[in-house]
Amino acid sequence: MTNPIQTIKDLTQSALGDINSATTLADLEKVRVAVLGRKGELAGISKTFGAMAPEDRAKAGQLLNEAKATLEKSLEDRKASLEGSESDQRFKSEWIDLTVPPQGIAPGHIHPVTQVQDEIEQLFTSMGFRVLDGPEVETDYYNFDALNIPPDHPARDMQDTFWMTDGHLLRTHTSPVQVRALQKYGAPMRMIAPGRVFRNEEVDASHEHTFYQVEGMMVDRDVSVSHLIYFMQTLLSSVFGRKVTVRLRPGYFPFVEPGFELDIQCLICGGNGCAVCKQSGWVELLPCGLVHPNVISNSGLDPQEWNGFAFGLGLTRLAMMRYAIDDIRLLQSGDLRFLNQF
Amino acid sequence: MKFSYNWIRELVPGLKMDVTTLAQQITMKTAECEGVHDPGAFAGASVAAVASAENSEPDSIIEIDNKSLTNRPDLWGHLGMAREVAAIAGLSVVDPVGELPVAASKGDLSITIEDANLCARFSGQRVENVKVAPSPLWMQYRLNSLGVNPINNLVDVTNYVLCELGQPMHAYDAELLGDAIVVRAARKGESILALNGEKYSLSPEDIVIADAHKPVGIAGIIGGNDTAIRATTKRIVLEAASFPAAQVRKSSSRLKLRTDASMRFEKGQDPENTVRALARAVELLKQISPGSQAAPPIDIYARKTTPPKIQLDIDWAERKLGRKLSTEEVINIFKSLVFGVEQLDQRKLLLTVPSWRATKDISIPEDLVEEIGRMVGYASIVPQAPAVLAAPTPRNLDHEQHRAVRAAMVGQGFTEVSNYSFISEAEAAMFASWTGTLLQVANPIVAEQKYMRPSLLPGIRRNLADNSRYFTDFRLFEIGREYHKSQDGTPAERTHLVATIYGRETSGANLLEMKRIAQYVASNCKVVPMKSHDEIMHPERAAHVEVAGQHVGDLYELHPGLLDRGRAAILDLDLDTMQALPSQRAPYRPLRRFPTSSFDLSIVAPTHTLVADLENKLRQSAGESLVALQFLLIFPLPPDKKSVSFRLTLGADHRTLTAEEVTRTREKVVEGIKSAGYELRE
Repeated sequence: MTNPIQTIKDLTQSALGDINSATTLADLEKVRVAVLGRKGELAGISKTFGAMAPEDRAKAGQLLNEAKATLEKSLEDRKASLEGSESDQRFKSEWIDLTVPPQGIAPGHIHPVTQVQDEIEQLFTSMGFRVLDGPEVETDYYNFDALNIPPDHPARDMQDTFWMTDGHLLRTHTSPVQVRALQKYGAPMRMIAPGRVFRNEEVDASHEHTFYQVEGMMVDRDVSVSHLIYFMQTLLSSVFGRKVTVRLRPGYFPFVEPGFELDIQCLICGGNGCAVCKQSGWVELLPCGLVHPNVISNSGLDPQEWNGFAFGLGLTRLAMMRYAIDDIRLLQSGDLRFLNQF
Repeated sequence: MKFSYNWIRELVPGLKMDVTTLAQQITMKTAECEGVHDPGAFAGASVAAVASAENSEPDSIIEIDNKSLTNRPDLWGHLGMAREVAAIAGLSVVDPVGELPVAASKGDLSITIEDANLCARFSGQRVENVKVAPSPLWMQYRLNSLGVNPINNLVDVTNYVLCELGQPMHAYDAELLGDAIVVRAARKGESILALNGEKYSLSPEDIVIADAHKPVGIAGIIGGNDTAIRATTKRIVLEAASFPAAQVRKSSSRLKLRTDASMRFEKGQDPENTVRALARAVELLKQISPGSQAAPPIDIYARKTTPPKIQLDIDWAERKLGRKLSTEEVINIFKSLVFGVEQLDQRKLLLTVPSWRATKDISIPEDLVEEIGRMVGYASIVPQAPAVLAAPTPRNLDHEQHRAVRAAMVGQGFTEVSNYSFISEAEAAMFASWTGTLLQVANPIVAEQKYMRPSLLPGIRRNLADNSRYFTDFRLFEIGREYHKSQDGTPAERTHLVATIYGRETSGANLLEMKRIAQYVASNCKVVPMKSHDEIMHPERAAHVEVAGQHVGDLYELHPGLLDRGRAAILDLDLDTMQALPSQRAPYRPLRRFPTSSFDLSIVAPTHTLVADLENKLRQSAGESLVALQFLLIFPLPPDKKSVSFRLTLGADHRTLTAEEVTRTREKVVEGIKSAGYELRE
């Protein structure tokens, strides 16, 4: 009869070969059943041990266990390797091209003036200025008289103002909100009032009859020019994203006294002089001043007790500066070829 | 306003500043300088010829922005600017006006002011034995370089004085004028042929200078042609007067006639200047029309005002500027600006305003703060944060709403547009329902501005037409105000969202997609179909949008007749109404602890049956065990039916429903459907 020990060795060798040559998990399972199964070849050999001498039987038993362990380990390894390559195959078959443009609706775009307005609102809100609104169809009282612009003042020129047939007008600036705000909420008051204003003039690349401003005002006890400069410098630095140098010079606006034109040092040339600042080093940015005592008293407050500063910033102009828009008419055109760029 | 650098230097002896530095100083302390020019650059070649003929030093012209001189009537002449320059440079001014002659109120010329409100002061003077000739070259050069055309020596003298002292003057031919001058309101029906050759019809709101019979000049604006200087003139009457700013401005804008005189009078001229101007003119005439002989001036000062005195508390001025001020510094500033200064105590001054600053410019202590501020220089003020109460900034909920809606719309692919607030006559006519509630513009420049928009739709429709030339499909929206005339006649503004989805090739607008957008923006809204009878909406594709039973807007297809090509779905929401609604948030419900059972049903119904009606029927017949009803799909069954499928989910709060209960409910539902006249699709 054959030597069981030799048989085990031979069997192990051939089974290891079968395991390594199996290419699918199903083939591998067949090998496992054939060799290690309950009715497999190793089980068959162990049945022959009964005829062996006791010391040979112990030796053969030990060898059989070792062979089982070796084969099981080899089966595990082969199985893991086959499994890995199978999922690799699956993944490979699932490849997709991520450079294909996606389906569905692309996001829309927010109007450039709105973007600038939102930013300004957030900035001023963070400095304690509340955001207020006022009517666009105004009375001549709020647009002019209350702001210390008497009926014979040049600023009331008929050709500058859109009048309604019922005697109302379209506000020519956001300044009426100064008086409305103080009348409604009293003092102290820190506010901005962004919004649409109207001037009755011909439209061209740099003139519009419809544009956006933001009014700003602070009323408290002992508000000074130094506070005005502080706020303007701080806020404008934030608007332009870098340190801005401002200067005040005399300017005349009936609702402030003293009144100023505020210039910023040219951001293009840093003040050395260039085409943008017409070689002056400064760019005129906004009118401002200390609120005229007549405006304070027209608002129902005592100018002996309360005073403040006010300013007006052109939102449309700011948006045009920021995005280098050279034709103001585009802003109200509704042209998606323009608006989709923002 | 143009200023001659040489002229200023004559008036401020010792001025060393070059013209560029001077222009900068004027900008920082007085008024905005727009540039410095060579006079030849704009006054024509003749100026250069004149300059070289005179062998005078070339001049420079400083251009000042007129708007920044609105409150400074005194700066509409060189002497006024010279005073500023002297104050800035710490120098003194020479007054070109010599000693004033004694004026009389009566003489060879009779002057009557009918109403002191029409004319505060009128000064006139006869000058005999004049001879009309060209002015000397130095005067022509100076006038020409300031943009004034030289005419003849007599007219040029009045213009020269205007440029020097800021006082408008007029010269009449004394033969043509006669001996009497009356300042009065124009009479109804009167007219005048003016020096510019135009005829003006006058109204009683205009002030005129008249002879015994008729107007010879429109006060403060222009002289008449009939009494004008001509080549043969031998005797003249010079006029220097003071007219009220408001009336001159009103007449000037009504007659659409702005002149060098009217621009100055409407700022409020100093009445003290009239006799000074006469004296200066007479002196110049002696030089350039030798042999001329002036009679004593006749001066009617109908309303004399005393220069105001204002008390200044220097500590208060310090608080206004946010800068320390020494008493001495402040006194020096006001002295340099020719104020009368009286020191009341250590820190208080009583200041007398010079007559040329008193008409419109300086009347309250705040005006004095400006004088101090500009003279010390605003650059000397150190920026300082104020001490303020720390409190949360009050929110603007409307803007928060707009921002949220805008973000939602942009996320859904809509681009924001901004349209004008105006609509045209044609657009207004298109929508008959608006008639009577429109706000009308009284003075539009173009026909497109006739009315205020009562809806954002006309603008959106323009956007649709414009953009359809470039895009086959697009989405856009606007958040903006509508304007209405309310019941009591006052204007009312409401903020709306109007959004549109456009498709060029589609056979109909994508209304259900727009319904999804509506629910995205107004999460609890209900879309209630309606029949439309107006010109805006597709008659069969229109619905109200409701929140909590309240109408907040409309969802519809734009009437195809309003578009040349393509179709557009429109969503119009009244954001103000939505904002005013109470919060629609439903309370939290605990999670279901017991399992539910679901089954699907397909109902066969006529094509025009509303899915909402089917849903209501299902809810009614299923009863309270229905915990969810889900629409699945619609399948058309031509010619006139459709099948609508739903998934019904049943459950109970505190137990699991038995199989029998589920079956019973299903039977009840099927029964309900059938009794409503529908069939079940098996």
